[in-house]
Amino acid sequence: MTVMLESPGRGTIRARGVPPTARRGTAVKRHRLAAVGFLSPALVLILVFIAVPMVMTFWISLHRWSMFTPITDMDWVGLDNYRAVVTGSTHLAALRNTVVYVALSAAITIPLAVLLALLLYVPRLRGRGLVRVILFATYVVPTVAIVIVWSNLYAPSYGPIDATLSALGVTSPGWLSNPSSALISLVIFNVWQMLGYYVVLLVAGLTQIPEEVYEAARIDGAGPIRQTVSITIPLLRNTLVFVFLMTVVNSIQVFDPVYLLTQGGPANSTNVLSFDIQRTAFQNGLAGEASALAFSLLILLCLVAAVVSKGLRRRT
Amino acid sequence: MTHVSSRWQRPIAALAVGAAALALTACSSDEEPTPAAEGGGAAQEITFLTHWGPDQVAQLEAAAEGFKEIEPDITVTVQAVPFANLLSTLRTQGGSGSGPTIASIYDLWLPELVRDGVAAPAPDDTSSSITDAWPGNVVEAASKDGVVYGFPNEVDLYALNYNTRLFEEAGLDGPPATFDELVADAKALTDAGAGQQGFGVITNWSSGAVHPFLSLAASNGGHLLDDSGKAALTDESVVAVAELYEQLLADGSIDPNMSAANANTTGPFLDNFANGKTGMIIMANWWQSALKDAMGDAYADIATAPIPVGPDGDTASSISYSWLTMVNGNADQGQQDAAWKFLTYLNGPDSGEAGSSAMGDILVGMGILPSRTSDLDAHAEALSDPFLAAYVDGLADATPFPTVIGGAAASEALQKHIESLVFGQEGAQAAMEAAAGEVDAALAAAGN
Repeated sequence: MTVMLESPGRGTIRARGVPPTARRGTAVKRHRLAAVGFLSPALVLILVFIAVPMVMTFWISLHRWSMFTPITDMDWVGLDNYRAVVTGSTHLAALRNTVVYVALSAAITIPLAVLLALLLYVPRLRGRGLVRVILFATYVVPTVAIVIVWSNLYAPSYGPIDATLSALGVTSPGWLSNPSSALISLVIFNVWQMLGYYVVLLVAGLTQIPEEVYEAARIDGAGPIRQTVSITIPLLRNTLVFVFLMTVVNSIQVFDPVYLLTQGGPANSTNVLSFDIQRTAFQNGLAGEASALAFSLLILLCLVAAVVSKGLRRRT
Repeated sequence: MTHVSSRWQRPIAALAVGAAALALTACSSDEEPTPAAEGGGAAQEITFLTHWGPDQVAQLEAAAEGFKEIEPDITVTVQAVPFANLLSTLRTQGGSGSGPTIASIYDLWLPELVRDGVAAPAPDDTSSSITDAWPGNVVEAASKDGVVYGFPNEVDLYALNYNTRLFEEAGLDGPPATFDELVADAKALTDAGAGQQGFGVITNWSSGAVHPFLSLAASNGGHLLDDSGKAALTDESVVAVAELYEQLLADGSIDPNMSAANANTTGPFLDNFANGKTGMIIMANWWQSALKDAMGDAYADIATAPIPVGPDGDTASSISYSWLTMVNGNADQGQQDAAWKFLTYLNGPDSGEAGSSAMGDILVGMGILPSRTSDLDAHAEALSDPFLAAYVDGLADATPFPTVIGGAAASEALQKHIESLVFGQEGAQAAMEAAAGEVDAALAAAGN
């Protein structure tokens, strides 16, 4: 039997009659066994719900399959589906639209959320709790319910926005009805819906900054702007990175408003990757091509994650 | 830095969960059908998948109750999903024997369902009764290679809908009968200052964009596909329709911003017509109930007319399509037999009112044309309604939308380029050439 005994105040002592090397090796084995035992439930879950579906998605992506037949009855097409993904104008347009949607969402949401969070963090501001609740409410209400309101707001000619613009003598951009403004209209919807969530996260981040730092800065003569630039923003960095990543992730996953409001149109101007995958698989019966699209997106996400991660590591 | 990387686990996990859904679908499809049930006396529970609304579902449930009095051992449960989810529900459940036993399907989906063994062929006696009781062209739409795969029910086609009040205000005495008259009338009806367009088109919805366009093409002697199954969109007769759109856009008679549809196949295009802001539009008969609901008393201003005929056409011809109810070929034999029995009852002359089938009553209640000959007779008075009469008259010259594997993807490809044309991103010739290439590619990708 190999054991290591802990002797409080004296350090580790060897058990009598057991060679030290053998005892150490056995202890390592026991640690490994314990680690495996504790991690197994999580590893099994990861294997069943992430690894297996990912492998199956890749396997399906090498076949033509309508989903009406058993998975054992698929036609092997090799890399044809990947060829269709990189050459298909509809898929490439979906990728382009997704990139634009993500970039615009991040570029508008984050600065706006920071600004609102700073305003709401001012201690003497009255009613800031109410404003926070109102902002957060847009995130809590289901998208389907919000879409009903926004479809009417965006309605051409007779909608309240267009009616107001018309009264002011401004020509309507067409909102969801025009290919040049439809994607931007969806971005505005996304910003409106998600802003409150990010504001709450940033306010939570602001509360983590010690008041003493501001006090020291004030003693040194720093004004509000200098405090924001030199203290608030740098110390909010971790929260900002989190908010940035959440914005990117949530934007890449956009589906509900596209499905409910535009169906990817007009002229494919709002066809984003998640909607394209759904339409390719479930409407057109090309589950193999849809899987190739999903797997390509996964690879793309991994690459982006690696680049972001590397960039942050360098800065650190 | 590990916490940063972990943030990316969410999209990866989301993708994986999506893949899991596909995989689970696959596993459920892998189920072997159980052997045929012995005898017909065992109690059977069957499900009927439909996209109908609550009122029609209630009627269908009432018919199922009536059927249970005759066949007490068969229980029919109705499963209703929105139209947009009907095909995806079939894909995720239809391949399994435990999926819906009966499904209401669009005829465009039939070739794929037959190829993959999801649609069961009708038994000989049922097939004969269908052939005897329905017009030949309707039975053809529910058949593949001469084999009948279901009971035909609704038939849909398109006609010109126009607002008589706006016509009177513009000094027009009747609907246009030709492309030239359509251009002239649309121009007269347009009043940009009042937010009024002469002719409305539909975007963001495949059938809404494609079927009216192809109806104009069919009325000019054109087709989506030629005899060899290749896209015929670069034919002069079809390009002429694209040029007609270009002309209407150049005149300001079409306002593209008034054209959008939403997932529920309603939205601004319907609202603008219902609000008297669109003079004319080409739409299907089934939207009558939506128009009545949206317009109230103003519905009296709406009239219908045949599709305007082009310079190369000789008669008005609308694109037509139909729906049928099929039986799941993966269900066990006892369930399949029970399903055919219920469908025979539902579509038979004894289940409805005054010689109509229960199915005929449900369809006419929605403003949809039934297809069984005896149903057309039983509902002759309702079908003489001025709105529906033009559609009924158009049945004889209708052009069926091609039912080929990949038809939905081909339709989406054409939709994209019609919308590009409408929004000025492509010219008529370029749009049709690009559409033809993508239609052929879509059909090839589907295995044609």
